[in-house]
Amino acid sequence: MKTNKKDIFITTIDTHKKIIYKIVNSYCKNSEDRKDLEQEIIIQLWNSFDRYNTEYKYSTWMYRIALNVAISFYRKEKKWSAKSDFYNEESIFSIVEEKSKEETELDYHLKLLQEFIHNLNELNKALMLLYLEEKSYEEIAEILGITTTNVATKISRIKLKLKNEFQKNIK
Amino acid sequence: MEAVELKIIREAYNNKLDKTLSLNLSSMEDLQLGKSRNSTKKILTYRVFEVVMFSFLVMFLGWYIANNWDQTHLVISGVIVNIFALVALVGSIGQVVLLQQIDFSKPIVEIRKKIELVNSHGLLFIKIIFFSAPVWWSYAIIAVDLSLGVDLYVHLEQDFVARYLVVNFLLIIPLVWFFYKLSYKNLHIKWVRKTIGLFTGTKIMKALAFLNDIEEFENLER
Repeated sequence: MKTNKKDIFITTIDTHKKIIYKIVNSYCKNSEDRKDLEQEIIIQLWNSFDRYNTEYKYSTWMYRIALNVAISFYRKEKKWSAKSDFYNEESIFSIVEEKSKEETELDYHLKLLQEFIHNLNELNKALMLLYLEEKSYEEIAEILGITTTNVATKISRIKLKLKNEFQKNIK
Repeated sequence: MEAVELKIIREAYNNKLDKTLSLNLSSMEDLQLGKSRNSTKKILTYRVFEVVMFSFLVMFLGWYIANNWDQTHLVISGVIVNIFALVALVGSIGQVVLLQQIDFSKPIVEIRKKIELVNSHGLLFIKIIFFSAPVWWSYAIIAVDLSLGVDLYVHLEQDFVARYLVVNFLLIIPLVWFFYKLSYKNLHIKWVRKTIGLFTGTKIMKALAFLNDIEEFENLER
């Protein structure tokens, strides 16, 4: 029964791995911290797995947990990786780096976008990540705990900043 | 950066991740799922300990007041110190309640507020110390009576007591004002920021600054 639960959990993580990967990358630049954060997110998801409230979409529930853990991690003065060798060394996610010529320009834009998100404060970072995932304003409001109007206003302000940032860097 | 361009970047990134990102199954299997580094449980232990300590202190002071019922100055001192101990006890109970409400599957703003209120708990003690300034003699009278068995009050000159009472009575209003000023909502005021920073330290300052950020984030106008 226990193994069955773990198998279901692993399948769920596999299905939603992009969510965790993107959040971890937005909140941590250091690769060791990234490993720690992805592991802590998965542990917290596992601990809450039995308490999943079916009135929410699984991704909404997952975003809340992952973002809450990421913000806590980001705000810690000493990151976990600096303390001890608590977890195994290998990363939970593997990524194969492959670049073709056509991807180069897009990669530059993506890098700019990631840099822009990285420089936002913890809460705006969460907001922007959810917006980029094409979540509806209602769902973003539900995950963050603010009003839909507030979500819309903040997103339009951040998009304006983003536009200026891109105009400065791409001529 | 138009919405369409943003969509192109987003889709390209998703396609790339679909092709290149995979779950490392052996790491996933090896992960010790029960071992979180989340420090909530550790903080909860500290706060429960605080609750126990302050409960004992409140009860002990109650016993002290009852035991010295015939000596007005000791009863007054005991009541004053007990009020501050009660404030600290209520604050610590509030912290235990907050910590038990921390559930990462709840909305982010709600949980962040609770976490930062827990992180800024130390400010309460600084406020209690400042706010009890007019009655510091109560602490001294009780401490000397309990530790050395000496009643300090009978050695004080009546003139000094009268002056002390007048001056400290006048201090109450500015201290109430000071008590309310020392809050994250007033971090934009230089002296508030400097005072809190001086007496609390970086961790509490960071928590208070973030409480301010959360409030701004919740506020549509800012």
